[in-house]
Amino acid sequence: MENQFVNYDNRIVKYFTFATLFWAGIGLLVGVIIASQLAIPSLNLGISFTSFGRMRPVHTNAVIFAFLGNAIFAGIYYSMQRLLKTRMFSDKLSYFHFWGWQSIIVGVAISLLMGFTTSKEYAEAEFPLDVAITIVWLAFGWNMIGTILIRKVQHLYVAIWFYIATMITVGVLHIFNSLEIPVSFFKSYSVYAGVQDALVQWWYGHNAVAFILTTPFLGLMYYFLPKAAEQPVYSYRLSIMHFWSLIFLYIWTGPHHLLYQALPDWVQSLGIAFSIMLLAPSWGGMVNGFLTLNGAWHKVKENPILKFFVVGITCYGMTTLEGPTLSLKTVNAVAHFTDWTIAHAHVGALGWNGFLTFAMLYWLIPKIFNTQLFSKKLANIHFWVGTIAILTYVIPLYWASLEQSKMWKAFNEEGFLANPIFFSSVLKILPAYYIRIIGGILYLAGFILMLYNFVKTISVGKIFENEKVEISVSQNWKNNENGHKWLESRPVQFVILTLIVILIGGMVQIIPMIVVKSNIPTISSVKPYSPLELEGRDIYIQEGCSNCHSQMIRPFRDETERYGEYSKSGEFVFDHPFLWGSKRTGPDLAREGVISGEIYKPNSWHFNHLIKPTNVVKGSIMPDYPFLAENIVDFSATISKLKAMKKLGVPYSDEFIEKSKEDMEKQAGKLVENLKNSGINVAKNTEIVALIAYLQRLGTDIFVKTDSVSVKK
Amino acid sequence: MEDSENSFDGIQELDNSIPRWITYLFVVTVFAAVIYFVHFHVFFQGKLQEAEYEAAISQFQKTKSVSNFDENNFSLLSDNESLEKGKELFVEKTCASCHGNLGEGNAIGPNLADNSWIHGGKPTQVFKTIKYGFQEKGMPAFNSQMSDNQALMVVSYILLKIKGSNPANAKPPQGVQE
Ligand code: HEC
Ligand code: HEC
Repeated sequence: MENQFVNYDNRIVKYFTFATLFWAGIGLLVGVIIASQLAIPSLNLGISFTSFGRMRPVHTNAVIFAFLGNAIFAGIYYSMQRLLKTRMFSDKLSYFHFWGWQSIIVGVAISLLMGFTTSKEYAEAEFPLDVAITIVWLAFGWNMIGTILIRKVQHLYVAIWFYIATMITVGVLHIFNSLEIPVSFFKSYSVYAGVQDALVQWWYGHNAVAFILTTPFLGLMYYFLPKAAEQPVYSYRLSIMHFWSLIFLYIWTGPHHLLYQALPDWVQSLGIAFSIMLLAPSWGGMVNGFLTLNGAWHKVKENPILKFFVVGITCYGMTTLEGPTLSLKTVNAVAHFTDWTIAHAHVGALGWNGFLTFAMLYWLIPKIFNTQLFSKKLANIHFWVGTIAILTYVIPLYWASLEQSKMWKAFNEEGFLANPIFFSSVLKILPAYYIRIIGGILYLAGFILMLYNFVKTISVGKIFENEKVEISVSQNWKNNENGHKWLESRPVQFVILTLIVILIGGMVQIIPMIVVKSNIPTISSVKPYSPLELEGRDIYIQEGCSNCHSQMIRPFRDETERYGEYSKSGEFVFDHPFLWGSKRTGPDLAREGVISGEIYKPNSWHFNHLIKPTNVVKGSIMPDYPFLAENIVDFSATISKLKAMKKLGVPYSDEFIEKSKEDMEKQAGKLVENLKNSGINVAKNTEIVALIAYLQRLGTDIFVKTDSVSVKK
Repeated sequence: MEDSENSFDGIQELDNSIPRWITYLFVVTVFAAVIYFVHFHVFFQGKLQEAEYEAAISQFQKTKSVSNFDENNFSLLSDNESLEKGKELFVEKTCASCHGNLGEGNAIGPNLADNSWIHGGKPTQVFKTIKYGFQEKGMPAFNSQMSDNQALMVVSYILLKIKGSNPANAKPPQGVQE
């Protein structure tokens, strides 16, 4: 043993902490705004930037990557230096990481409001930002590995394992899900189409939940809970078991987001099977957290930090039980596309991630500012307000989900849908949308109390930006260990093993879907979009219509009665990106264009509806889109879009691309003529014309008769 | 700041054994998962989604088209209850969104209150317009959303109440005057 001095970088921790607080405020506020828009649609303001379809991704990205992302970094930068007894490997990388991440967030928020989006959930950021994210993430990874390599302790503590898994997996997920070919600076198309795109997206989407909202927070729990409780961690063995099983199994579960959808059954079943197996490994973390409090429950009573931990970990246990439950087909059939998903996500985000972050901050901020928390009482009030907020938020949504699903599926005794009008089910659950707003406001109010508490705390505290600490360093590391202990002192091997473990699941599911043709039976009548329809589709993406509308009819009698023939995987082969959606705030649109279909509407209906939905549907909560009739489509970009699609394998001939302008003029001309017959005058090159052309194309291909294949209706 | 063998930054790590129940839970879920997958994809037992759908459809007895009248020859219902029901259906089934609340017509659908008809104003003609639609022209078919009996109530409401009611903002007549 030898004593040395080390300078911990507390300034970077402070930076990330302040960023956490700043973005939490923004993320929660936008959440309250969009929740209000769903109940009171006039709050969409009738302009593009503020309408729900564009704001919702700002909320999700701000909460996941800005609020929780910065919280993770704050916790990692604090704990990693201390667990490894060294300053971060490179200050340059630390601050590059910090400023890079904040600029990306600002860039993402602005670009999303401007309508630059890939439409893939939690990965909406467009091409240049995807590149920036990759670079900053690599800097973070480099800094992390560098720090581990210059560590002054032999073994890596369990928190570090979780940090490593986070860093590796998020990098892999981000890169593969963002493979896209750029058309212009802020427009790109996913290289994957339809079913493949959906599978890759939910491989990413579910594991964003796993490796941004779960593994790093478990790592933080393993550091900050024993610190705050001054208790030993309960079981080292359990941490080994649940770490490896968790990261291995999680990766396989993505397909449970696509149950009963146009995905081959074997992939769905794999998703279900692995989701079931994930229960115990997830609970492993919860159990280790709770048992760490063994014998310290009396402390919980007095200590608001521990209260936040306890409710946070409880919510973790509840969401990870709910997850496998929702993966069961029978439950999924009821819950999917409803507000259950939203409730589930918020038990996780508000309860587990939010409360864990608050617990960490209440411990961390007084610590780095060398003072006591200004008011324990306020922290206690925050705890109770927050807890009530979560309940007020989720309970109405669970009710809404069951109620709405029941209405969707009900048949009357004559064999007709009991509620043929989709919107009647929305009206029924509207009260829940109002109550949910109150939940959101309460949660925000609790957060503001915390902010006040911190301002007061910091005003009397003093931070040592470079904290000089004396450490004892052991010179002789053992090298006769085996098993997991061996691995814990070999970071390179640890990283490689982690990488292998997290790659397996994705490869088994995704590669066959890309390589083996029979997984997606082709339908010969399915043809690429016309240039005008393609432009319309891009407007659908730009306005974020898929945040409220699915395009995926599941094989249930109520859905085929309501919307028409269920969706087939072969229908989506030209869809870069896929637009299946994950929530039906409005009805499914997969067969909107089928003239003989269940839900067909004439052009004039769509026009009047888009301009102001309440024109045709009394009380509709869909936002007004009057600007679509004024905004002009930039047809100069159409050719490069078609060319990009061609590169991705969509069979547009060169000749066709050359004549695309005429084709567009012709199709738009016909549509405008038809609208004129109904007394509607609109210019040919407006966004609304392209969008209606797209809506009228939806779902029609399989009913077109061709020589080779005829598909039954 | 002494760190011993199993202490990290002052955090002690115990090595208690894993609680039994969580180990059992894991074993049980692994078995369940394997059985689930093998059941469907190795032994090909159990219905996957398409088979499930086919079964649901074939089980379902179609009672929809059953009606107690002949669609080529029937008389309108003039009792208050049926007319009231017809009025409700006119809104509920979204007719009002395309034909106006009072059947006065709007930018989408024609006036139903005047004496001019595009597809004929006889009860049987109006009935068929509603039941089978003119989908290319924007009038949906309602045979999958309403029973014939309901359609009859709507037809009765249109021809006995809306027709000739002279609503405000009426759309100019279209089709043939009868
Ligand atoms: C806030 C959620 C929301 C957003 C965003 C949204 N819609 Fe809707 N949409 C609804 C609701 C709710 C309905 C049902 C009530 C109605 O018809 O207005 C609906 C109905 C529709 C319908 C009628 C479907 C039918 O057959 O009855 C169409 C078409 C439609 N939306 C298209 C769009 C398009 C295109 C966009 C994007 C420009 C969009 N929606 C954005 C909520 C939304
Ligand atoms: C999506 C809009 C839409 C809806 C909903 C709708 N209609 Fe129509 N309807 C039309 C259009 C458009 C026409 C004109 C068709 C044409 O020009 O051939 C029409 C025509 C008619 C006609 C024939 C009028 C004539 O002059 O011959 C009748 C009768 C009618 N609708 C009744 C109904 C009833 C009853 C309902 C509700 C059960 C209904 N419509 C719902 C759009 C709609």
